[in-house]
Amino acid sequence: MKDMQALCEQARQLWPSEVQALRIDEAGRLGELRCAPQTLPELADWLFNELSYQFAGLIVEEAGRHWELRYLFYGQAGRLYLLSEQPLAERSFPSLSTRVHAADWQEREAEDLFGLVFSGHPRLGDFVLHDDLWPEGLEPMRRSFTGTRPVSDRQARTDWRPRRIVQAPGAFVMPIGPIYGGATESAHFLLETVGEEVIRAFPRLFYQYRGVEKRAEGAPFSQGLLLAERFAARSAFAHALAYSRAIEALSAVELPPRARQLRVFFAELERFRHHLGTIEGICTSTGLAVAASQAALLEEEALRLSGALAGHRYLFGLAAPGGLAHDVPAAACREAVSQAQAIRRRAQELHQRLRRSSSFLDRLEQVGLISPEQARDHGLVGPVARASGLSRDLRQAQPYSGYPSCSFRVPCEREGDGYARLRVFFAEIDQAVELMAQAAQDLPRGPVRAECRPAAGAALGWVEAPVGAAFHWVRLDESGRIMRYRLMTPSFANWHGFHLAAEGFAFQDFPIILATFGLSVAENDR
Amino acid sequence: MTLATLIGIFFALCGAGLLATLALPERQAPRVLAWSGALASFFILWAGAAALLGGESFRLSLWTLPLLGRLSLGLDRMGGLFLLIGGLVTLPVSVFSLGYLQRYQGKYNLRAFGLLYLALLASLALIPLAADAFTFLIAWEAMSLLSFFLVAFEHERQRAVQAGYLMLAVGELGTLAVALAFLLLAGAAGGLDFPALRASSVGLGATMRWTIFLLSFFGFGVKAGLVPVNFWLPRAHPEAPGNVSALLSAVILNLGIYGILRFNGDLLPINSVGPGLVVLAIGVLSALVGILYATIENDLKTLLAHSSIENMGIITASLGAGFIFTATGHPVPAAIAFLAALYHLVNHSVYKALLFLGAGTLDAQLGTRDLDRLGGLLKRMPWLGLFMLIGALSIAGLPPLGGFVSEWLSLQVMLRSVELASVGIKVAFALAGVGLALTLALAVTCFVKTFAMGFLGLARSEVAEAAREGPRSALIPLGFLAGLCLLLGLGATYVIPALDGVVRPLAGTSAAAALVPPFFATHPKQAELPPAFAADFHDLGAQLGKNFLPGRGLVVLHRGGAKNPVIFAMSTAYTFVVLLLLLLVVYLAVHWGPAWRRQVTYQPRWAGGLKKLLPEMTYTATGFANPVRVIFEAIFRPTVVENTQDAAREHFRTLIRREHRQVHLIDRLVLKPIAWGALAIADGLARMHHGRINAYAGYGLLVLLIVLILARLL
Amino acid sequence: MSEWVLQGLRTGIKTTHYPDARERAPGVSPGRPVGGSYPADQAEALLARCPTGALRYQDGQVIIDYRRCVHCFRCARELKTPLTWEMDYEWAGANTPGLTGPFGRSVHILVVDTGDCGACLNEVKQLNNPYYNMHRLGFFITPTPRQADILLVVGALSAPMREPLLQAYQAMPDPKRVVAVGACALSGSLFGPSFACGTGVSELLPVAVEVPGQPPPPLAILHGLLVAVGRRPAVPLSSPNLPMPIPVIEEVHSRP
Repeated sequence: MKDMQALCEQARQLWPSEVQALRIDEAGRLGELRCAPQTLPELADWLFNELSYQFAGLIVEEAGRHWELRYLFYGQAGRLYLLSEQPLAERSFPSLSTRVHAADWQEREAEDLFGLVFSGHPRLGDFVLHDDLWPEGLEPMRRSFTGTRPVSDRQARTDWRPRRIVQAPGAFVMPIGPIYGGATESAHFLLETVGEEVIRAFPRLFYQYRGVEKRAEGAPFSQGLLLAERFAARSAFAHALAYSRAIEALSAVELPPRARQLRVFFAELERFRHHLGTIEGICTSTGLAVAASQAALLEEEALRLSGALAGHRYLFGLAAPGGLAHDVPAAACREAVSQAQAIRRRAQELHQRLRRSSSFLDRLEQVGLISPEQARDHGLVGPVARASGLSRDLRQAQPYSGYPSCSFRVPCEREGDGYARLRVFFAEIDQAVELMAQAAQDLPRGPVRAECRPAAGAALGWVEAPVGAAFHWVRLDESGRIMRYRLMTPSFANWHGFHLAAEGFAFQDFPIILATFGLSVAENDR
Repeated sequence: MTLATLIGIFFALCGAGLLATLALPERQAPRVLAWSGALASFFILWAGAAALLGGESFRLSLWTLPLLGRLSLGLDRMGGLFLLIGGLVTLPVSVFSLGYLQRYQGKYNLRAFGLLYLALLASLALIPLAADAFTFLIAWEAMSLLSFFLVAFEHERQRAVQAGYLMLAVGELGTLAVALAFLLLAGAAGGLDFPALRASSVGLGATMRWTIFLLSFFGFGVKAGLVPVNFWLPRAHPEAPGNVSALLSAVILNLGIYGILRFNGDLLPINSVGPGLVVLAIGVLSALVGILYATIENDLKTLLAHSSIENMGIITASLGAGFIFTATGHPVPAAIAFLAALYHLVNHSVYKALLFLGAGTLDAQLGTRDLDRLGGLLKRMPWLGLFMLIGALSIAGLPPLGGFVSEWLSLQVMLRSVELASVGIKVAFALAGVGLALTLALAVTCFVKTFAMGFLGLARSEVAEAAREGPRSALIPLGFLAGLCLLLGLGATYVIPALDGVVRPLAGTSAAAALVPPFFATHPKQAELPPAFAADFHDLGAQLGKNFLPGRGLVVLHRGGAKNPVIFAMSTAYTFVVLLLLLLVVYLAVHWGPAWRRQVTYQPRWAGGLKKLLPEMTYTATGFANPVRVIFEAIFRPTVVENTQDAAREHFRTLIRREHRQVHLIDRLVLKPIAWGALAIADGLARMHHGRINAYAGYGLLVLLIVLILARLL
Repeated sequence: MSEWVLQGLRTGIKTTHYPDARERAPGVSPGRPVGGSYPADQAEALLARCPTGALRYQDGQVIIDYRRCVHCFRCARELKTPLTWEMDYEWAGANTPGLTGPFGRSVHILVVDTGDCGACLNEVKQLNNPYYNMHRLGFFITPTPRQADILLVVGALSAPMREPLLQAYQAMPDPKRVVAVGACALSGSLFGPSFACGTGVSELLPVAVEVPGQPPPPLAILHGLLVAVGRRPAVPLSSPNLPMPIPVIEEVHSRP
């Protein structure tokens, strides 16, 4: 089952009357199947559970008089959209979530933002637009909704009570947030417990919902780049890259070789810096002050390195459709590599020292467990999935930019505990510096940017962001304005599975488990 | 008035109350009960005080019965103490009953309650008054039966009736053991009255002494709620009506201790270490088991019942220490040990009556005693909250309340084991000290939980939301008892000499001389320390009492010899005054401070930016005690029954139902094997009934043979 | 354990000398554009490239409103006459005098994230790292408003965070100051106004100190904190320094 053609053909044979192949593109790596709504769950089940395709996300579009729902899967043969259409008046679609659990949150999001109903989904509502914070029936992503002014009628429900599923004598709900801890992103957690042990964890996110997808609609694509870059700064370059790749796909532009290679360089620099920050978070959460300081030093040095090299500490304003916004001299890159190698050396020392600190390991080993089955079912991505034995990496699975010509290893661990995730982060720091060195070595001369004139249409851009697989889906009109922008982020996928790790452990493990996931609320909330 | 008159008036009042209850209409029964009960309690209190403090004694011969000898009543200091405690508790409980009984109006027979209550009151007084074994056993039996009827008073609830029967059955087993012990003793004495028994005890052999000790300790231990024969207690005490629970825990348990003291301290004094060690071990184990189960319990009355076991354990452990010290010839530590036990006994009676009456009030006002469903009551029931706080602080052993003094003394007694020679006994004492220390620490946890989860925070149920302050007939007795808690703490230097009269005959020396020595007293002759040293002490302000209270201000915990004149002492009164002064300073600092400090703004509670903090988002009592449950899992051995419901797949969990089922340690280790054994024997016997005539004849022949052989051998 | 102590000692002192001396290490600041006199045609090209409307042209001068500048570098790159770029970091402007008296040397800060992308928040966190070590200047981050003197707000004022933010402000004892950090918190930048985001914290709370930048580097935030306690002078929020319309602070607590 290597070939997209063969995959589509097989699907058509299995469901001859309901499935229709629409197109096969990009040298046979992209397929689209139109599928009757009632057949969709079966088809998705077949892809996800039998062929081990991964579910990337759900793209809802209000196209004229029809709903167009695209379910994006990816796997061996490439990327496959399942398109399901219905008239606007018909709001009910069959739910995938009971068979493809990874679709759970995607469907809940579409329910809240578009007012769709996914029949058979056991738990809808109170997801993005929480019942106690937003008025009922807002449906902000509908075309008819004007997103540029505040919601005047801000009457939310006052009788909201937490959903409780634990029934035990003395059970209660421990609320955390939305403002908690020292300097933390705003998120609200409800931990069901009878004291000590977290029996059930509910993250209530979207306190930082900024409506980025709505904000992008109607904006020129150059403005979209700024939104893509700046909605989640810890992975800014990766997201700007994914967005640029979508625009490039619409422009049918050939990327200059220098840009390809520099993109790898900066993407890895960002991963390097991101993981150093995550490690700092893990050290802080365990209360190991010196280690936290050491990691903080490394993170700041990586930030300064980025700032000195690219002009911005978070690599803002660097990625652009067609290449990079400005060139960086090869010598500077090589200098940066040697600095990064020095930082890596100290990170390795830190790792060795942490491995010898039993008080630190006690807090991580066998804590916050995610089994490979759980990781697969919940569609986890990135280092979290890789620490649970799922060797998933878009850089290898769906290579892009300069990655096809790079040689690297995807670190993978089997235990699925906090320590395994820490090891993956350290190993990826190593790999990132390796890749930076490879990219900086024989940097081709030439321009770093090609002119981009995108045609109308929709395209997908994907990258392996530091947290995991990120997908940006953009539809432009003829004038280059964005009609629909869909952001499918790795943090969204991983927050979905976070509760699995927190459940069954004590309160005091909760911040540590949270830190080992290295998640971003901003990236999830958008 | 003489003791005889006071006691006469007491019984007359009880009798008059009984007659009035019968004569007047049923709805008047609570009023009759309250008036006659309170008046009678007052006189018995007076009598007890006169005997204890005034040293008056009393002896009255009743009838002479054929075979059983002379029946007589008498009162010494020890009896006086128990009468006094009884009076202290029954007085507020009687007043409390006036309002409390209204809840039974029309549902249960109030006249019956009145009759049973007054009769129980009389029997309770009769036990310390009894001066011969027969009267004692009659009174004991009456008390057992009457308390059974009162526990099972809510006879429409099956649990109450079952608990009553269990209490009665186990109690009767105890009575049987006590009766046997008396008979064995009487066999040697040739009479049943106490002086005769006391006189005969000198010549008894070691085996006989052990037998009598074990029988009597078992018998009275059942009543005092000691392990392993206390499984009836946590079942019976919570099931009884609120006022009866208070009597059960605060008076009737004491009588078990009275029995142990009367038997092993007075009639047949322990003269070897072994029995003392048994008493010590049983005491410490009771204390630990009691407090562990109290800490994880959520039903307020069951919690208090478990806590009663704990307190009886502490008292018994101190008694055990006293017996050991006496047997090894250390009269001063022995005296302190007995004093600690008696002090704790008084304290326990007062605060446990207070807490049980408070729990009864809660039950009456809210209809629930489940701590998980309470919360936030302090705002709605400020007086009840205050009194319960005082009770909880005292039982948790915090200064300057009564519990602090007696628990400190109990711990200190364990440390006095350094004076002993035997290493084995020292180890036993060390273990006991550790056990008691753990008990006291857990007691703090337990009662912080009780008060905090009941009275602080948000109301966790609608009934708690709608709570109203209890009636005055409940608050006045509670206030009286709370005041007593404070007095027992502040007046430690007065309570100790008062109890000394009971201790002196037991230990052979005075504890007061060691604990509250008169070396600061005005007579220079009495001074044991160099005057300069005493003056230093005085300058430090330690002996607060000297200047404006006519007594001693310090309880001495340790003193060095002449070479090393060092003294460690405590003064609850001093602590109290300092605490008050500190509070005053804080108050003044807040209210009279510089202008910028005086800006007081009230803001809603900060809940992390949460829109609204809901009651289900606050800690529950179960959650608070869960760490204890986890740490002592090996003892509790809970089986966790978990079942879940999913919508569609396990990812969409809709329900996690989790239940902890646990069998009480004592039930598991004692009750189950007994029940299993009994059933096994019954099975075996049933198997013999297979209906063959010649087999039955064979059994008959076998029995005859055995009897003949036995007769021959003996 | 001793290994960690040794490692800590071996690392030595890394801390910057700011505010006593300037920090000149590369990469501590992204810098920002400086306005000035430009001919009309060049100014028009510049204004057209600014995605957030931070540039104005008035009396022959290009004026930059730093509340809106997001460091997109579009006015500095690929232009014949780019704006000049300064690499400083003392950027904070003040609307009210700083806290004085006993609050100068022990200041507790409550950080509230109202829809930040993570950059400003991460830069605030960096203030705790040994390079900046804000404890040496008496600044401490506290998790509760009850002990806070400064409310440091980052983010675009997302709708669900409005009420928590207001609650936090009200729960703080007086005297207190609000420090808004980052272009999002000052103007909404790319995200506001919309149904989900506001146009800056001043919509809701009286902002005392404004720290522009997306994100402002740690030293700029440190400067903002020093301004808030009156230990450093504030700088203008526009370039060249023309009086910008100071945002009208609505009645506090009026609109959650």
